[in-house]
Amino acid sequence: MGEMNVIGKRMAMTDARAKVTGLGRYADDLSVPGMLYGRILHSPHPHARIRSVDTLAAEALEGVKAVATGRDAPTPYGILPIGHDERVLALDKARYIGDNVAAVAATSPEIAEEALRLIRVDYEPLPAWFDPLESMKAEENWIHEKRAHNIEKEYHHHFGNVDEGFAQADFVLEDRYYCGEVTHAAMEPHSTLAVWEPNERLTVYSSTQVPFYLHRTLSAVCEMPMSRIRVVKPLVGGGFGGKSEIIPLEVAASVLAKKARRPVKITYTREEVFYAHRGRPITIVDLKLGITKEGRITAAQARIVQDGGAYCGYGPVTVLYSGALLNALYDIPNVKFDGFRVLTNKPACGAMRGHGTVNARFAFESMLDQIAARAGLDPVELRRRNLLKAPCTTPNGLRVTSYGLPECIERVAERSGWAEKRGKLGKGRGIGFACSHYVSGAANPIIRSNMPHTTVNIKIDRDAGITVYSGASEIGQGSDTMHVQIVAEVLGVRPERVNLVAADTELTPVDLGSYSSRVTFMAGNACLNAARNMRAQILGPVARQFDCETDDLEMRDETIVSKNGAGVSMSFDDAVALAMVGEGALVAKGTYAPPEQARGGKFKGAGVGPSPSYSYSAQAVEVKVDRETGQVKVERVVAAHDCGRALNPLTVDGQVQGSVYMGMGQAVQEEMVWREGRLMNPSFLEYRLPTTLETPQIESIIVESIDPEGPFGAKEAGEGSLAAAIPAIANAIYDAVGVRITDVPITPERVLAALRAKEEAEKGGAR
Amino acid sequence: MTMPGFRVIRPSSVDEAVRVLADNGPEAMVIAGGTDVVPNLQMRLFAPRVLVDIKGIGELRGITCNDRVGLRMGALTTLTEIAEWKFVERCFPVLGSAVRSVAGPLQRNMGTIGGNLCLETRCLWYNQSEFWRQSLGGCLKKQGDVCHVAPGGQRCWAVWSGDSAPALLTVEAELEIAGPGGRRRIPLAEFYRNDGMNRIALGRGELVVAVHVPVSSAFRRGVYRKLRVRDSIDYPLAGVAVAMKVDGQGICRAARVALAAVNPAPQLVHAAAERLEGKRYSAELVEEIAHEAIRTAKPLTTSASTPVYRRDMVRLFTRRALEELWQTRRGNGEKRAG
Amino acid sequence: MTKELIRLKVNGETHELAIAPNKLLLDVLREDLGLTGSKRGCDDSSCGCCTVLIDGMPMLSCVALATSYQDAEITTVEGLARDGELDPVQEAFMSWGGAQCGFCTPGFLMTTHALLEKNPDPTLDQVREALASNICRCTGYTQIYESVLAAAQKIREKRKNEIAISK
Repeated sequence: MGEMNVIGKRMAMTDARAKVTGLGRYADDLSVPGMLYGRILHSPHPHARIRSVDTLAAEALEGVKAVATGRDAPTPYGILPIGHDERVLALDKARYIGDNVAAVAATSPEIAEEALRLIRVDYEPLPAWFDPLESMKAEENWIHEKRAHNIEKEYHHHFGNVDEGFAQADFVLEDRYYCGEVTHAAMEPHSTLAVWEPNERLTVYSSTQVPFYLHRTLSAVCEMPMSRIRVVKPLVGGGFGGKSEIIPLEVAASVLAKKARRPVKITYTREEVFYAHRGRPITIVDLKLGITKEGRITAAQARIVQDGGAYCGYGPVTVLYSGALLNALYDIPNVKFDGFRVLTNKPACGAMRGHGTVNARFAFESMLDQIAARAGLDPVELRRRNLLKAPCTTPNGLRVTSYGLPECIERVAERSGWAEKRGKLGKGRGIGFACSHYVSGAANPIIRSNMPHTTVNIKIDRDAGITVYSGASEIGQGSDTMHVQIVAEVLGVRPERVNLVAADTELTPVDLGSYSSRVTFMAGNACLNAARNMRAQILGPVARQFDCETDDLEMRDETIVSKNGAGVSMSFDDAVALAMVGEGALVAKGTYAPPEQARGGKFKGAGVGPSPSYSYSAQAVEVKVDRETGQVKVERVVAAHDCGRALNPLTVDGQVQGSVYMGMGQAVQEEMVWREGRLMNPSFLEYRLPTTLETPQIESIIVESIDPEGPFGAKEAGEGSLAAAIPAIANAIYDAVGVRITDVPITPERVLAALRAKEEAEKGGAR
Repeated sequence: MTMPGFRVIRPSSVDEAVRVLADNGPEAMVIAGGTDVVPNLQMRLFAPRVLVDIKGIGELRGITCNDRVGLRMGALTTLTEIAEWKFVERCFPVLGSAVRSVAGPLQRNMGTIGGNLCLETRCLWYNQSEFWRQSLGGCLKKQGDVCHVAPGGQRCWAVWSGDSAPALLTVEAELEIAGPGGRRRIPLAEFYRNDGMNRIALGRGELVVAVHVPVSSAFRRGVYRKLRVRDSIDYPLAGVAVAMKVDGQGICRAARVALAAVNPAPQLVHAAAERLEGKRYSAELVEEIAHEAIRTAKPLTTSASTPVYRRDMVRLFTRRALEELWQTRRGNGEKRAG
Repeated sequence: MTKELIRLKVNGETHELAIAPNKLLLDVLREDLGLTGSKRGCDDSSCGCCTVLIDGMPMLSCVALATSYQDAEITTVEGLARDGELDPVQEAFMSWGGAQCGFCTPGFLMTTHALLEKNPDPTLDQVREALASNICRCTGYTQIYESVLAAAQKIREKRKNEIAISK
């Protein structure tokens, strides 16, 4: 690849101007004439049979235009084909406090809320399950009748032979790790505007990461063909996985719009966002690890229980990721995994940044430090001794094509001053190290098919403007900009010449959505293919006119020139005009499907984990611990991320820093607190996201391993750096004050309790 | 969340405000900065028929200070104005330290000293939406008859969560209150009733007009230490304010210790004043006062942090504050809590 | 509820509006004036997405009754650019990655604008202090810090040039 003009350059995002001027429109910013305001009635019971719903008084209220209950939309749905267990409004049972029972559309929000107060629901409360370990022992009163013992799914994988592995080990450690529940907390509360069009079609503007899955689901639930429904994604104010399933308000607004034959907008309150949730579940990890005295890992065994809440959602995928990605970071010959996704009477969990991998990685990287201490090894050195030799395929069938982890480790060790600092930072200060990784999209689609995962179209007409049509969903991560950069690079034009139309089911081809960090790799490759196709269409006629080969030509600086500098020189506009002779508008298409060999093994559950490529991350964190309060302050973070190639280093840095930040929040302060199925902190005052005062400047280092299959060598950047942040902090606390915290969040109370226990033990030892 | 319906009256003088408040009694409610009142209205914790917006009353604004009458802060003085008042560090460091710790900079730009002193008490079981509270049948304080913090009891334990009140208690502040019978001044300590449901002693038609701090408590060393998860935005999980006068020989000439967020009222640690006066620093004495502080503190499960931890921190923060103020030449309010 | 006729001066323009007395400034801006740049991210005045300038001071429009601010100069994010030229703060947030999803951005811009009016040469710690009421879930704040410091530098250079020209 020659020198590049757009790729690899720090470039402001193409929608940045819309965002800094306040003129860009998010779903709740939209309004149309005649628009109604929708509100949803939620269950006050964690588990209750619904005997009846009386909506007469609500319907009679002036200004109420539609009231819907479960009977209006009885078709069950769910993001996974194996998990269609949700209805937009409960039909028979409510399964968590906040479950959706009825919905109202009225001429003002106040009237809609008043109408909710008039709906009478006759509930028969049922015994409820809150603790996952108790719930999975249930003999009766199951949350879903078809899910015996409240176990949504369980998986048991064994690669190699862990018994032999542990027998070869000189050090074997077992421990239990607990991670509390956390949520995405995107700044934009979910919002949907469903417009019933005069021609009996439905147009839905929604804050979604997955407009095409929404399209399918609306078709099923509203009982309308997909061809009569259009889903448009406006600007989305952050997702992190929280908008990567069908969210009840999206369906409720659509059902109400169809019923009222009027436009209906629903915007969640912040509290409702917490109930819609789909975040990272409470996770209990029982981990066993063996290493030789030379520091080679011989075996890893994990039993992982996830508290999935009341519905399936992405649950089986979440638990599978937690097992599959025990692999592909280090070279581990023997791995055993037992995973359980358990139902409880709480809001459903789902995919959150680092989907499934984060809590298992916390356990693993913490234990690596514990076992390193046991073996008298430097934790970084231990990691160095267990590197993969890429390219390779792991025992569970994950194909690693590029592997920048060694460079990540070395650069972080160097920049952070690891060797000089570990154990030497002085009283109450410490440094910790950890690694993590993530997929660049899932090699297998949620709904199995042999169709490409993405198609991108490009059109050039007489204005010589380039319009790219992509279904990919910009949610703040920079996917729009990525498309523009790729096309501008391939066609040798300024980015300003490229216009992107994205994420509109009527205008753009299907892209599966913004989840599992798939967009740069998959939509990027489709876009690259489309651009190359377009390039050939433009260069062909030019080559014919100048009687040369297209290979002799290159496109740069808005012109077509000979590679050897002699002969051909034609402006982009003229070349386009030439290519359109006898052809009319130029149209090109590109697609992407992961190669067969990337799709993993054949065992049950093998479909989750395989990816065309994996990103890698290493981090060092410095903390200060107050021994008397237990308070932990993160003072410095150095994070290196192998993203293959940084198409836009500005946004890669932003993604890495944002991931670290989210991990830091989970590590020390964020947690959804439950009492009897009731969320005690459904607000931003009580669910505490870190402010600027807790967040140091995060030093990010970009490592480029140039993936053989990624677009220009690129792979994911948005998730892989999250998981390492949590164990790096736990490890730093150990370095600072010598206590090992195995429960997250690492609250001051937990640190203080551990410090006191340690003191007691030392006193006892002295006696 | 929507707002409940109400009428807004905007009086332009204290007398007019008093009249409106007296006419409407419990159906009227005062709004100043709005940072506490508006979220509570949206949660339907209050349903006033009339909201009395006092922001247009000029008399309620501004800080005056001189060596005859001491400090007077109009009730509408914002927390930012106090934090940026050029003499606050020199004259009343405990106050500066406390107001700088309130919420975050934007909340302090709006929040007023009067509002902060009249803050609604807070509890995890109370500061929730209408839906949330009703899913539980309400609580003692609102639409229910059970206290979820201390079931069986008939007392509301919602905690005093203002930061400026304990600081002002340590400098013997007084409140100037206007009412139908004219103006009265009461010691701030008498303003609080230590009852989560009925937190302040304000009669029908009464309005807090100003806060006064006597000259005699100026120049005390002082600091407010706040237990919080984040260094911004959060209400206190516990707070300790200490102000003391130390002479050239290191002998304590006056001292006050007060607590926030561990009782339904901000509370002075009464034993502290007499036990400290006339004494030289000793670690044992400081520990003794810290122990008195936790005897005063009665934290229950009203917030994110456990009662045990909050008591521990009250003891620690008291000790740290006393050590810091006594053992350095001047108290420096800049040090962060914890 | 009987509506009230009020006068509101926003971004230099005076509007006469009939609004319910319980209506919040944020909702008047968004619904009555179509200025949807200011956002609602929470319901308890704890996220900063709704920050506007009231007489130059950054405040939370989600807890302000619109009727209370009839005599004030209100500036929203839509009022930052002058004659189509972006404010240096806006430019910097674009070039330095200060905006990812963009939802918190208007609030950050308003707080930053007010900070730099008062102090065009802030230290990193002063920036962190000033922005501590504004929450961003995307950036980890690092590129916001960089944006603010870059804007400050640009403002200082601009002022220096203006002084040079006026001499």
